[in-house]
Amino acid sequence: MLEVANLSLTYGLHRALDGVALNVGRGEIVTILGANGAGKTSLLKAIAGVVRTLPGKQVRLGGRDISALAAHDIVENGLALVPEGRGIFGDLTVKENLLLGANPKRARDGEAARREQVLELFPRLRERAAQIARTMSGGEQQMLAIGRALMSNPDILLLDEPSLGLSPAMVQELFATLRRVREAGVGLLLVEQNAQESLRIADRGYVLENGIIVGHGTADQLKSDPAVQRAYLGGAPAATPSS
Amino acid sequence: MTNAILTGLMLGGMYALIAMGLTLQYGVARIMNLSYGEFLIAAAFASHWLFTGWAVSPFVGLVLVVPLAFVLNFAIYKLLLTPLVRRAPNRDALEVDSILATFGLTFVIQGSMLALFGGAYYSYSFLAFPVQFLGETVAANRLAALGITILLGLALYLALTRTRAGTAVRAVAVDPFAAQLVAINVPQASALTFALGGALVAAAGVLVSTFLTFSASSGVVFTMKALIVVVMGGVGNMLGCLVAGLALGLSEALVASYVDPGLTLAVNFALFLAVLLVKPAGLFGRATR
Repeated sequence: MLEVANLSLTYGLHRALDGVALNVGRGEIVTILGANGAGKTSLLKAIAGVVRTLPGKQVRLGGRDISALAAHDIVENGLALVPEGRGIFGDLTVKENLLLGANPKRARDGEAARREQVLELFPRLRERAAQIARTMSGGEQQMLAIGRALMSNPDILLLDEPSLGLSPAMVQELFATLRRVREAGVGLLLVEQNAQESLRIADRGYVLENGIIVGHGTADQLKSDPAVQRAYLGGAPAATPSS
Repeated sequence: MTNAILTGLMLGGMYALIAMGLTLQYGVARIMNLSYGEFLIAAAFASHWLFTGWAVSPFVGLVLVVPLAFVLNFAIYKLLLTPLVRRAPNRDALEVDSILATFGLTFVIQGSMLALFGGAYYSYSFLAFPVQFLGETVAANRLAALGITILLGLALYLALTRTRAGTAVRAVAVDPFAAQLVAINVPQASALTFALGGALVAAAGVLVSTFLTFSASSGVVFTMKALIVVVMGGVGNMLGCLVAGLALGLSEALVASYVDPGLTLAVNFALFLAVLLVKPAGLFGRATR
């Protein structure tokens, strides 16, 4: 469904991404593991077309080449990004945010039915329809961000740290929702600080280090990989005693 | 008293109309258009020319001048301002660049109008008869202008709040980064909104020309008034525009009839300062940005 190859990105002299290749299938959850600054956010932004990348990248979505498209056209082709910090329209109401989510032409058919689905996934949004988005709690804003992205009728959904700032109970609720989104046939590419949780719901994962993909496998393979355990799952080597 | 209030409301309605276009251009396209008032005067001249030369009623003139202004402003954005938008690293930098560029544009437009029409004051007589309204005698042209202003303001407000396209325009003002994530073509939306602002100020120009005298160099007064209303009401906020415009008009009319007509400008700025001291982001503005 989503195929990315040779994706490179620099900020000044710093090479944030170097020849990244990955793919996400239909109805699949793929997670990116990596430390802070490994390039996870840059990777999602680059795929969504909101940052300028080095020439030579290839991004294909359902067989269509979307490498050269601007961000707003990429959404039209069925790829939605829920950015870090949510990116909702804080001054607009919940209802207006969802209305804009269905702004792509591909989302106009069946908009009412899709809104029903989204409100079923996130019942809280129905209660809050008339509320100004920025006055809601962090968890509610996160629901709105995901709901708005789903309104665009995406084939692929990119999620950047969706659990950031949520209570453990809410994280559970969120991840259960993501499973249901997958069941609807959407492919999810998930960046998470919380590797434990993300590997629990993911089908596959990639390990990103300093802008380079250094590992790849099914979620089970990654969970049992000692290097992954050591670096991301808290199976840390004996802590150096501090004195 | 009724007369002063009525005068104030008519004046305030006009200020609100003048400011609506600027709040769109500044709030959405992030262009601080210092040549704004020149476009108003250019439309006033167009209406004058149509009325005196071709006996075209300003109401018909609106239908001709407003679409033309839309096209012209769209072209100006595409040709003159798009290079600035492209090279600006962020929206704050664009604001500064746009101030300089449109300041220059002011002289181009004003100079052209001076060359064409000279420095004399112009006016024409349209609907210049008194009518009874709420027990007071007012000029018919002012009343007509107020009516059209209310219609335009209402139409704009409904378009911005009740349609998807209007909501998208507000979304660009709120967060242009997030706007592209919902498939809004931000550069295109900015260009169209800038053009819409230009069309609105042209409508204001045509209406103003029916009851005010104007000259090629009076544009700056309208730029200032519009700027005060926009900042006072909160950038990008239509309701703020209306409230601030009416407040300005009412205070001017009341001071002119009960204190001293020479103090109207002082009252303008006193009100402006008072609002900014209490609410730095304007009456309906957000405290943070």
